[in-house]
Amino acid sequence: MSYRIAVIGDLSTSTGMALAGVSYTHVHKSREETLEKLRKFLEDESIGLVLLTYRIAEELEPEFGQLMRGKGMLPVVLKIPDKTGYMPSIDELSEVIRRTVGTEVTIKGEMR
Amino acid sequence: MATNLTAPPTRMELIKLKRRIDLAQRGHDLLREKMDALVMEFFDVLRRIQDSKRVAIEQLHKAHQALSECFAEIGTIETLESARETIRDARLEISSRHVMGISVPMIEDVEMKRDALARGYGLHTTSSALDESAREFELALKLLIRYAELEASAFAIAKELEKTRRRVNALEYILIPRLERTIKFISMRLDEMERENFTRLKRIKAILEERR
Amino acid sequence: MDRLIKLELGRLNAHLPRNRVSLREALASPNPGVNTLDGSRHVFKREELRFLAGLLPEDRWDELRLPILISFEHGLGRGAAKIKGNVETWIAGKILGKEADGEMVIYRPEVLLLRRKLPTTTQYVFR
Repeated sequence: MSYRIAVIGDLSTSTGMALAGVSYTHVHKSREETLEKLRKFLEDESIGLVLLTYRIAEELEPEFGQLMRGKGMLPVVLKIPDKTGYMPSIDELSEVIRRTVGTEVTIKGEMR
Repeated sequence: MATNLTAPPTRMELIKLKRRIDLAQRGHDLLREKMDALVMEFFDVLRRIQDSKRVAIEQLHKAHQALSECFAEIGTIETLESARETIRDARLEISSRHVMGISVPMIEDVEMKRDALARGYGLHTTSSALDESAREFELALKLLIRYAELEASAFAIAKELEKTRRRVNALEYILIPRLERTIKFISMRLDEMERENFTRLKRIKAILEERR
Repeated sequence: MDRLIKLELGRLNAHLPRNRVSLREALASPNPGVNTLDGSRHVFKREELRFLAGLLPEDRWDELRLPILISFEHGLGRGAAKIKGNVETWIAGKILGKEADGEMVIYRPEVLLLRRKLPTTTQYVFR
């Protein structure tokens, strides 16, 4: 199946991605407006990938997390750094590794 | 739960319980195999994700630099105008593969790079800074797509891993020990009853012999 | 609780294909893959199919049924898995550098290697 891409970002991110051929771009201004846009992107079956900046994702919490937990496999949502390169100091994936594999290791230790 | 220490102490119940513990043990062993396999798959994705993430983010940074030069060179309004005119038809081919009940997205590697004409802007402006920005963002997009596939896979596998681990633990630390305790209790009760029977029989025998 | 375990055991293999396809069929298909028991579609990567085609002589392409099943069986021991079938074990043997004769037991590092080479054309089974 062929899918389109959407971006939610600052002006630079959206402009750059538009230049690269991304079909839908949204420049973040207000929280409510962006949330609504995100919901629309998530519901749109023609969209396979949504890129949004870490900073905006943070600003959209807690709704953002709820939306992520509630969605299916598609669209894939990927958080990216914005123009300033901002990324949170705690990497979400490392958190997941600690939670899943970290506890797994201690359980094994208890068992044998 | 049905399995508690009030189970009737009969041979029949003991057989039933042994059957249940076998099933639980089998479920536990297979789920643990699944958990092990998921851990393996998870680490394999993680191994690939590190490089992919670094490369994609470095390229995105480079693209932003190119774009800010473009803003400076031809002006913000002109750049935005060009972005508006750009043909925005980037497509992804996504299918899915299944790893132990999890759907993992599979995004085909696609070339996002286009030549300046195919982009559709710049009929009135020709700017190498603009072309450069577009080119760098196209490359960034391509690398981000690859990274997105891996990250989505990692999260999907991790989620299933957590679920499976909870099940394995419930079987290992709650259900199986509980069944074992019940079996032990019933066996002891049965032994006890047998001993009681034995003494009872002995007494009956003694009484009968006295009467003779 | 027993029902739950049985359900869970059923779910363990819900991702398995309804029926397998031969390498030749897969190579010829515009959308190579199989339908799974739970009603979704599992797609094979073309580069993997080409890799297999390069490994296996063409006159045996009909014999190889995909996906190749890596079977964790109760009682085999933790981390050990079985592969069955003449061509299937031949392929696995070729990748792992092992002798094969229709049935092969492999261990975790070998499972990992096989999965890395064939992420979409192999599948886990638990029984």
